[in-house]
Amino acid sequence: MQQTRLLKLALPLVRTHGFTREALARSVLQLPAPKAHTDPLPDAAVSALFGSGDQARKTLIDAWLTEGIRQLQLVDVKASGATVRELLRARLAYNEPVLGYLPEAFALMASPVSGSPPLDPMPALKHATGIADEVCYISGDASLQLAWYTRRASLAAIYMAAELHQLSSPKTAYAFLDSLFESSSSLESTLGEVSLFSNYITKSWKGIIKSSGIL
Amino acid sequence: MQHNLCRQTLRLSFSSRSSLRPCIRLAHSDAQFTSAPQQQTRTTAFGFKTVPEDAKESMVKEVFDSVASNYDLMNDATSFGVHRLWKDTFVSSLKPGRKGPLRCIDVGGGTGDIALRILDYAKDNHYDRETAVEVVDINAQMLKEGFKRFKSTMYHNTPQISFHEANAQSLPPSQFSDNSYDLYTIAFCIRNCTSIPEVLKEAHRVLKPGGTFACLEFSQVGNPFLSSLYDQYSFTMIPLLGTILAGDRDSYQYLVESIRKFPPQPEFARMIRDAGFSTGKDVDGGAWTDLWGGIASIHTGVKV
Repeated sequence: MQQTRLLKLALPLVRTHGFTREALARSVLQLPAPKAHTDPLPDAAVSALFGSGDQARKTLIDAWLTEGIRQLQLVDVKASGATVRELLRARLAYNEPVLGYLPEAFALMASPVSGSPPLDPMPALKHATGIADEVCYISGDASLQLAWYTRRASLAAIYMAAELHQLSSPKTAYAFLDSLFESSSSLESTLGEVSLFSNYITKSWKGIIKSSGIL
Repeated sequence: MQHNLCRQTLRLSFSSRSSLRPCIRLAHSDAQFTSAPQQQTRTTAFGFKTVPEDAKESMVKEVFDSVASNYDLMNDATSFGVHRLWKDTFVSSLKPGRKGPLRCIDVGGGTGDIALRILDYAKDNHYDRETAVEVVDINAQMLKEGFKRFKSTMYHNTPQISFHEANAQSLPPSQFSDNSYDLYTIAFCIRNCTSIPEVLKEAHRVLKPGGTFACLEFSQVGNPFLSSLYDQYSFTMIPLLGTILAGDRDSYQYLVESIRKFPPQPEFARMIRDAGFSTGKDVDGGAWTDLWGGIASIHTGVKV
């Protein structure tokens, strides 16, 4: 569909024009030679294709986020041996060229359409969980049942924290991501030990009760 | 040009009055259209009737000749004035004049409703007195009403407005050249055309690359409860109001029937794409915007 094609052409323009209607309007200038326009799309055309007002900008942000996921899918994990940490690093690197425009983009995503609730956290959560799920899938994560959820939730939390850190301090973002992974793995092992210990206690109590002849 | 228009409208109004009644009656007589010699002719819908393609144009013309003088009154009476809100929404969604003057063509806009709103919007919101609208209608009576109405506005006798009698399916290329308009509007008209794809093709031809096609039309109501209420109202009240206020039940019966025969939103969006336009996604708020649950709908497309 032509709309999707124009969105793709608008993505490189985000670096220079931000997540704006201007970037969308200029997408037609990037069409291949016979079809390239001499003027950007008029305002009514941008509204007709991508939505009116800020909805057009949200469409562009969505397309940019989808492209981020697609870039992750292009990583050949088997050949490169990339780990989950490296995949998240690659996703953070995808943010870098447009870092200056991201705070505004995330603010726009969190703005509700109808004014209620005043701040909508769902798009941000979807964004982080979407990345966590994709990273798990690409890396061949085989966790099941509760572990499936905890694995994705912890990765989403790590990525979200690292991305927030990246917005204020881009240079230290990767080190921060690493530190988060380390603390999360120690947290994970602590949790594992606690569960093992409580399991042991439960078993002991069962044995005591049985031996005392109550059951 | 204005003299020519007046002469044309007068000529047509005389001819139409003499042939109005027989033609409307013809539309409701199935036997006349199922006779053997007409088996091979291509047919189209005229309300709930099936008529030869050649006949529809003149029959629609007769309907609008008949309702022209009471058109605005009847629109107000049957929609409780809501059509004005829809037209306002339609024009303000296009934001004419926001990024400089536009050359617009308003097809089927005989009474000048849309043209006047476009010019007012551009003037009031963007201080734009250069945007121009060419009003095109197949029906001289409707054009005459529009021409009369514009006399009371500041746009009369300015390059901002002009009226042309032409068929939306075959706009004369000498007058309406290729790639020449920024905005093509068509409001409550396209369902009356014999061939919708032909109209869309012509729209695509006359629009500049990057130009916008915008259509306001009655559509399909999604909510079943609202839909049954709307059906009840439109099949009982509108023809009755037509009889009382305009003395013409048949024409209003046709108008209601033609609304039900019009393709639903996704199908019309597909037709717009088939004509070469690009549209948004096939959802409300994408390729189209529903008004009042889909009673009317704004479809847009862009010539890329």
